[in-house]
Amino acid sequence: MIATRGLVVRYPGAARPVLDGVDLDLRAGEHVLLLGGSGGGKSTLLRVLAGVVPRVVDADVSGGVEVAGRALPTDHADPATGYLTQDPADQLVLPTVRDEVAFGLENRAVPASEIGPRVEAALRAVNAAHLIDRRTGDLSGGEGQRVGLAATLVTDPQVLLLDEPTSLLDPAAARGVAAAVATGRTRQRASVLVEHRLDELPDLPPRTVVLGDDGRVAADGPTARVLHEHAARLAALGLSLPLAAELRAAGVASLHALTAADDDAGPGTDRASSAPVVLRARGVHVRRDGRDGLHDVDLDVRAGRVTAVVGPNGSGKSTLLLALAGLVAATGSVVGGTVGSVFQRPEHQLLARTVRDEVAWGPRRARRADVDALVEATLGRYALDGLADHDPFRLSGGQQRRLSLAAAAVCGHDVLLADEPTFGQDRRTTLACGDALRALADEGRGVVVVTHDLRLVAELADDVVVLRAGRVVARGTVPTVLADDRVLAEAGLVVPPAVAAAVATGRPVRTVLRALRAATALSAVRSADGRPPTLATVDR
Amino acid sequence: MSPPALGRALPHDSVLHRRNPTVKLAVSSVVSLVLLVPVDPWTPGLLLLLALPAATVAGRLGARTVLRAVALFAPFALSVLAVNAVTCPGQVVWRGVGLEVTTTGLSVGGALALRALLVGVLSVAFTLTTDAGRLMTSLHQHARLGPRATFAVLAGYRVLEQLPERWETVRRAQAVREPGRRPGAPLPRDAGALARAAFAVLVVSLRQGERLAVALEQRGLGAGPRTVARPVPLDRRDAALAGVVLGVVGLVVVASWWTGVLQTWADVG
Repeated sequence: MIATRGLVVRYPGAARPVLDGVDLDLRAGEHVLLLGGSGGGKSTLLRVLAGVVPRVVDADVSGGVEVAGRALPTDHADPATGYLTQDPADQLVLPTVRDEVAFGLENRAVPASEIGPRVEAALRAVNAAHLIDRRTGDLSGGEGQRVGLAATLVTDPQVLLLDEPTSLLDPAAARGVAAAVATGRTRQRASVLVEHRLDELPDLPPRTVVLGDDGRVAADGPTARVLHEHAARLAALGLSLPLAAELRAAGVASLHALTAADDDAGPGTDRASSAPVVLRARGVHVRRDGRDGLHDVDLDVRAGRVTAVVGPNGSGKSTLLLALAGLVAATGSVVGGTVGSVFQRPEHQLLARTVRDEVAWGPRRARRADVDALVEATLGRYALDGLADHDPFRLSGGQQRRLSLAAAAVCGHDVLLADEPTFGQDRRTTLACGDALRALADEGRGVVVVTHDLRLVAELADDVVVLRAGRVVARGTVPTVLADDRVLAEAGLVVPPAVAAAVATGRPVRTVLRALRAATALSAVRSADGRPPTLATVDR
Repeated sequence: MSPPALGRALPHDSVLHRRNPTVKLAVSSVVSLVLLVPVDPWTPGLLLLLALPAATVAGRLGARTVLRAVALFAPFALSVLAVNAVTCPGQVVWRGVGLEVTTTGLSVGGALALRALLVGVLSVAFTLTTDAGRLMTSLHQHARLGPRATFAVLAGYRVLEQLPERWETVRRAQAVREPGRRPGAPLPRDAGALARAAFAVLVVSLRQGERLAVALEQRGLGAGPRTVARPVPLDRRDAALAGVVLGVVGLVVVASWWTGVLQTWADVG
C-alpha cells in the first residue's frame, strides 16, 4: 500500500537532506507508529506520502514513492489517501459539521442520496454523532479534531496519514481522539501515525518505525519491542515514553530502584508560608462575554515559588492570568510587583524582525543602560545565540517558545505568568521550558503557570490551584493536591502513569521524577547516539 | 436570541430565511441598480416606506433591528445628502459660509440618501436571513460559480470568523511586553502598536489560510466533477418572491412617472 525506495528529500537552502535514503513498506492492514526527533523528518515523510511535498511545499525529492498503487509525485491529491494534521483550525474549512464531513464525498462525486447516511456513520465512528448540527467554529479542540478525523475517514481512504493529531489537545480530549484514531486501523487500510505523547495514549499501532538523525530508518519492528530496545535513544529524541519504556531508558526496573538524595528543594509548607508575597489577588471577579469567567478568586504568588493553575477547559485558567496581568477588566484587587506574561502561542507576542531585537525590546523600552550585554547573556542562556539574526516568525515552535520566555525573562519582572507554555511541544522542549521557569523562580521571582500537563506540574511546581467553573475548588502543595483523587476527578484531570507511580513510591514526587529524568539523561549520554535533553540541543 | 454573527443567519425561521440565497442576492442587486435611475426623493422614499415593514415582517427581524440598520446607514446617507445639496447647480434656496444649497441639490441628494438607506435595509435583511455556507452552495449550484472560488471564500470566511478574537489576543499578548505598562491600562492604540499587532495577525492568518488551502485540496477539491450533498432548493416560491419585489418596484416607478414626480438624471441635467 505504501512503498518508498531510497527516498531523499532536501528543502531549498537546507544544508543536508531531511530524509536521506528512506526505505519503507506497508501492506494493507499494517499500521505504523512513526517516531523521530523534532525536525527529524517525520512530518516531511508524511507530507511526501500525502503528496503535499513537493506539489505544494517546494523541495527536491528523489527516489521511488508509491502510495495506494500510484507513483508520486502527481498533480492532484490522491483520492485514496486521507491526511490529518495537528490543528483543527487548519483543516475545518466549512461553516457546519455536516457540510465539513460531506465535503470529501461531494468532491468524489458520491451520489447525494448516499452522502447523508455516510456522514452520520463517519461521525458515529469517532464518537461525534451529537456534533452533526454544530458550527465548526464553535467546537472545542478535541471535538474539532474528531470531526476532522470523521471528514478524513468518511471517504474510506486506503492510506491514512496522521501527523500528531493529539498534540494540541488536553489529556482528556487527546484520549478521546486517540481512541477514535484506533478505530481507523482496519484490515483494508494502511496507516502511519506520528505521535510523541506515548506515555498517556493507549492503543498505539502494532508496528513502530524510528527515523534517525541521519534521515534514515533507525529501527523498524513491533512497537513493544522497538520501545523497549531503543528506549534510551527515543527518550533522547524528546518523546514521552510509556512508563515501562521510560524506566528501561533510565536503566531501572521500577521507580523504587531510583536512588537520589531526598529533595532539599522539596516543597515544604514552612517555606510556602514564609516566602514573601510578590503578587496578592483578592476577590478577583471577571465577567466576559456576558457571563462570569472568574468568581472571587484569591491568590498569593510568592517569591521563589511556582504556582500551577490547573482545571478543565473553560474553567477560567487563562482568564485568571489575564486578570493577574491587568489585561482584562476585573473587580477585586491585584497588588504587588511588576508582571510579565508568556502567552500560549508564542507568535502572538512577536514584535520585532530579528531574534536579537525581540529580546532587546523590553530592555530598550525600559531605557536600560546595559541593553547589549543583557541581551547577549539572555540569548546565551536560552540557547538562542546561533539564531540572533533570524526572523522570529520563521523559527520552529520550540525555538519560538524559548524566544518568548527569553523576551519576558529579560525584563526582570517580579512575577512571570505563563499560559500553557508547553502547548504542542515535545517532551524535550517541555523539559527545557520547565527548567527555564524553575530557574526564574529560583532567582526569587514568583511564577504562575497554567497547564494541563500534570507531569509538568509534578516536576516543576510547588503549589497547585485547581479551578472549576471560575472558582477555586482546591489549593495546596503539589503532593497534597496530586494525592487528592476526588478533587482531580471532579476537575476532569488524569494523573499520568509516571506521576501516579511516583506518588505510589511514598517519596517526594518531584525528587522521584527528577531522579528518573537524571537517570534517563545519563543513559542517553551513554547510548551510542543519544544526547541528554538540555536546552542547547532542543532544536536539532 | 443570540447576537448577529458574521455570516450567520439569525437563528429563527422566516419567509426570507427559506428563500434561495442567489435569488435574494440577485433581487436586491436589481433593486439597487434600478434605483440609480430616479433622482427624485419620492420614488426611493416610497420604496423605503414599503421595504421597512416588508423586511421586518418577512424576515421576522423585529422593528428594533431594522431601525438599527437604518441608523447604521444614516451617517452615510446624510453625507450624501449634504454633498449633493451644495454641489449640484440649480435654484439657490440658502446661501452661507461660502456654500450654496440648491433645490436640485436637495432633490438629488435626498434621492441618493434615501437610496442608500434602502440598499442598507435590503443588505441587512439579506445578511441576517442568509447563511454564508448556503449562499456559497447556492452560488455554485445556481450561479455556476466554480467550486474553487466558492470554497476559497468559505475557507477565507473561517479565517475571518477567528479574526476578532485573534486581534484581541495579539494586542494583549503584545501589550504585556511593554515594560512600563500599568496593569489595567487600556490596550495601546498608537499607530506603531496597531501596525505591529496587524502584522502578527496577518502572518498568522496567512499561514492558516495556506494550511486551509492544503486541506481543501487534500480532501479532493477540484479533482473532477462533484456532487452537492444538500442542494439549496430553487422553486416557484423564489420566483414569486422575485416577482412580487420587482413588481412592486416597477409599480412604484410607474406610479411616480404617472403622477409626474419621477425625475431622472436627464431631467436634472
